Amino acid sequence: MSNRILVVEDDERIRSSIRLSLEGEGYEVDEAGSGEEGLDRFGKEPCELALVDLMLPGMDGFECCRALRRVSAVPIIIVTARTDTHDVVAGLEAGADDYVTKPFVAKELAARIRALLRRSRPTEDEPAVLTFGDLEILPDEGVLRRVGGDEIHCTRTEFHLLCELASNPNKVLSREHLLDKVWGYDYFGDGRLVDVHIRRLRTKIEPDPALPRYILTVRGMGYKLVP
Amino acid sequence: MFGLGALVLSMSMGGLSYFTARHFLLNERHNTSVQQAYVNASLIRTYLHSGSSKVNALGSLASGFGSHSVLFDKGKWYPGSISIGQSAIPRQLRALVISGTPATQNITLDGAPQIVVGIPVPSVHAAYFEFFDVSDLAHTLQVLATTLFAAGLVTTLLGAAVGRSASGRSLRPLSEVSDAAVAIAGGDLKTRLPVASGDPDLAGLTSSFNYMVDQLGERIEREARFTSDVSHELRSPLTTLSASLDVLESGQDQLSPRSARALALLSADLHRFQRMVGDLLEISRSDSGSAEIWLEEVHAGELVRRSVEVGSRTLPKGVSPPNVTVDPAVESAQLMVDKRRFERVIANLLENAALYGGGARSVKVTPRQSKGGSAQCVVVAVEDNGPGVSRQERHKVFERFYRGQAAGQRGTGTGTGLGLALVAEHVRLLKGSVWVDDTPGGGARFNVELPVADSSEWSST
Repeated sequence: MSNRILVVEDDERIRSSIRLSLEGEGYEVDEAGSGEEGLDRFGKEPCELALVDLMLPGMDGFECCRALRRVSAVPIIIVTARTDTHDVVAGLEAGADDYVTKPFVAKELAARIRALLRRSRPTEDEPAVLTFGDLEILPDEGVLRRVGGDEIHCTRTEFHLLCELASNPNKVLSREHLLDKVWGYDYFGDGRLVDVHIRRLRTKIEPDPALPRYILTVRGMGYKLVP
Repeated sequence: MFGLGALVLSMSMGGLSYFTARHFLLNERHNTSVQQAYVNASLIRTYLHSGSSKVNALGSLASGFGSHSVLFDKGKWYPGSISIGQSAIPRQLRALVISGTPATQNITLDGAPQIVVGIPVPSVHAAYFEFFDVSDLAHTLQVLATTLFAAGLVTTLLGAAVGRSASGRSLRPLSEVSDAAVAIAGGDLKTRLPVASGDPDLAGLTSSFNYMVDQLGERIEREARFTSDVSHELRSPLTTLSASLDVLESGQDQLSPRSARALALLSADLHRFQRMVGDLLEISRSDSGSAEIWLEEVHAGELVRRSVEVGSRTLPKGVSPPNVTVDPAVESAQLMVDKRRFERVIANLLENAALYGGGARSVKVTPRQSKGGSAQCVVVAVEDNGPGVSRQERHKVFERFYRGQAAGQRGTGTGTGLGLALVAEHVRLLKGSVWVDDTPGGGARFNVELPVADSSEWSST
């Protein structure tokens, strides 16, 4: 299995230092200086994860995320200038799975990458099939589909999130719990990650995303899945 | 002030009128009395020359105007009426007149003011004295004094009222300027004075005041932007440094002990530098008003416990995490907070306690009525065992880069100098308040008060 990471970043020195650091962690790194170049590289040789700076000349990071998402479910980490702006939410809505803030600590980036690339599910004793409503989830195969119908495409993060909710039906799961289980955040997690991903999941599985039937918000507490 | 001036002025005017009138009236009466006394004295002389009896002579005098006569003739006294005799005449006056000098004196007889006129009549070796009752004059003067005083008082009050309204009107623009200056000092740079029409002096003041505020606002904005720009520009090289350092650290084993030590120093300060830039950015956003807050509803107990747990992880090695006690009454009080900001508040307070207070001893969460008593609040108190914060420093510790007395005790010093300033900023954005006081043991206690979003879940203790 390849463990190539595509780094889309216009600052050459940052790119080089990230490459050195990630190579030290055992990853293979592909560099791109612009969004266009990033998409081009991805088209030629897909990667396991993309790191995209939101502030890019030409095609910006948001557009780059959307373009990548159109062709792939590859995990995307965005690099933002600020944590408290709409940038984070906009980036997540453009399809990113997680974010880091500049200036970031290399170890932190490595930890985020590891969490997203984690293949095995944390819980061992999981049934082979989880069902609710007319949906079924095959955790081992990473497949979500309507019973007797089409597969529903979702990103790995969305899939992990749905598995976590579906394996604890009718139980309220806090954002912290979900951040820990799905993103591997043990602290300083950002609840917006959960909120945006829940929103995306709803548009994929709910008959009416504005009036959710399966994934319900429990005000002040978290989310629960009602089969 | 104006009223006091008016009072003094009208009172002195009144006083002046009174004394002038009094002097005039008294003089007048005095002259009349003396003239009448001379007339009577010459009549007496005529009578005495003609050999009439003294009693007849006195009785013939016109004494209808409240005057009484006393005659001294050849060593004997002849009072003109029973009520007033020679004993009423002052001794000195008596002696003076008998010795041949005419004189007058003001006296009081049975409570009534009198003028005594004494006229010697040397041709018959006699002296004539006459008493003139002037109590009617005293009464007139009293009425005059009362009238003048009342008029003065009314004038003063009227003057004060008119003056007050006039000064209020003419000073209103100044009080507007004063109010605007206070608002601007309070941070409201959008305050402008209404453009005054009519008065050209005022229009000048208004426009230059507004110009000053414009300039001030621009300068502040420029400075805030500068801080933000500098911090932004620092981030890229910092990211490169951090990632490269990480590579070096992973190959630490191959370094000589000297190089490894240098690398450790580099790493520690780079980390601090990064945090400083992060804090500066955070503060400059807050200054420029572009800070965004993401409010979530959370239970107070859970929020604090979690934030303390999170904050304790980044504490220096060897600092033990504090005990958290939550009053059951506020365990599930709902707070609307930006969790990231609240976590930073707690993390910074714990770090501050670790750097200057020997580590936080406890974190206590208690209910509290806000100052108005209308809203319920939750107070999160972080207590330490350190030397406390002196009264003079209690406000200053929340200033940026403030280095207090405790700073001298900094050993390896890893603070950014912005920790408590950020605490104050975050708490302000969360619509709460923060202050520092003492624990009973003398340590510092940092209190963060936050309003409760929904107090319906409070137990009624």
